Amino acid sequence: MRFLAGALVAAILTASAAAGPGKEFIVTIEGMQFHPEQLTVHRGDHIVWVNKDLFPHTATAARVFDSGSIAADGSWSYTAAKSGEYAYSCTFHPTMKGKITVQ
Amino acid sequence: MPTAKLLQRFPTVIATVVMASAAGGGATAQANTPSATRHRQFLPLIALLVTFVFADSGASWAQGAGPTDPQIAAIVVTANQVDIDAAKLAKSTSKTKDVRDFAQLMITDHGGVNKAAAALVQKLHVTPEPNPTSESLQKAGDDNVAALKKLQGHDFDKAYVDHEVAYHQAVIDAIDKTLIPSAHNAELKALLTKARPAFVAHLDHAKQLQTELSKGGV
Repeated sequence: MRFLAGALVAAILTASAAAGPGKEFIVTIEGMQFHPEQLTVHRGDHIVWVNKDLFPHTATAARVFDSGSIAADGSWSYTAAKSGEYAYSCTFHPTMKGKITVQ
Repeated sequence: MPTAKLLQRFPTVIATVVMASAAGGGATAQANTPSATRHRQFLPLIALLVTFVFADSGASWAQGAGPTDPQIAAIVVTANQVDIDAAKLAKSTSKTKDVRDFAQLMITDHGGVNKAAAALVQKLHVTPEPNPTSESLQKAGDDNVAALKKLQGHDFDKAYVDHEVAYHQAVIDAIDKTLIPSAHNAELKALLTKARPAFVAHLDHAKQLQTELSKGGV
């Protein structure tokens, strides 16, 4: 029993370590828009862009982060490293804009 | 019959007559007019034809009924494919990076919509059914590519982008007025709804290119 409890704790710790510290936030790309359009996170948090459109998009903030092409039904994750406000867009569809604020 | 009413009832026929007269005029002017100028004169008429093809969709169906789901599927696939065909030509012909980038975007995005449409018709066991609208669309697309092939340089860019503006506006109108209201299957309706914002973004993008080209900015 004690062994099982220990294994369970170890499993939980391993799972947490894999995800890394920080919370996870989802930005959905759908209908040629980022939802939510503006998002505030803390350093170390993970932001995952999930593309639910029928074609590729990017999440690109010049010199800060660039997802490259995120395929339809694909996703891309970024860990917020530095405080600041970062406007980003889709390089394929420049009318698509969003903003990430890292505290 | 007032012109507007006439256009509403017989748009494709009228567009064809307009095209034929334009071709006749071009032949008369052949001796003194450079070839590129002649073709440039016809292209706005081809863009007009695209608009008429879609406007015609209301007149092609039995009274009170719109296209069926298999017919809508054929219209969607053809509408995307003719834009991909024009884009492939633009990508290999245009010397302007912004125009080539736009063309690549059309190939990717409309290809994505068609891939989703193909997956949906397979899932629903629907066979796209050719109909007067999809056939007219195909012909208008083929005519556009044939006319564009005779142009190059700035004339090509302008004609291609002008056509893209007219085409996307016509498709948005068709999606709103005919295709979404007529779609019976919820997933087909959802696909059309999901694809619509892309057509709007493409229209804005094409208009922006149109402005840049008219200023000589690209």
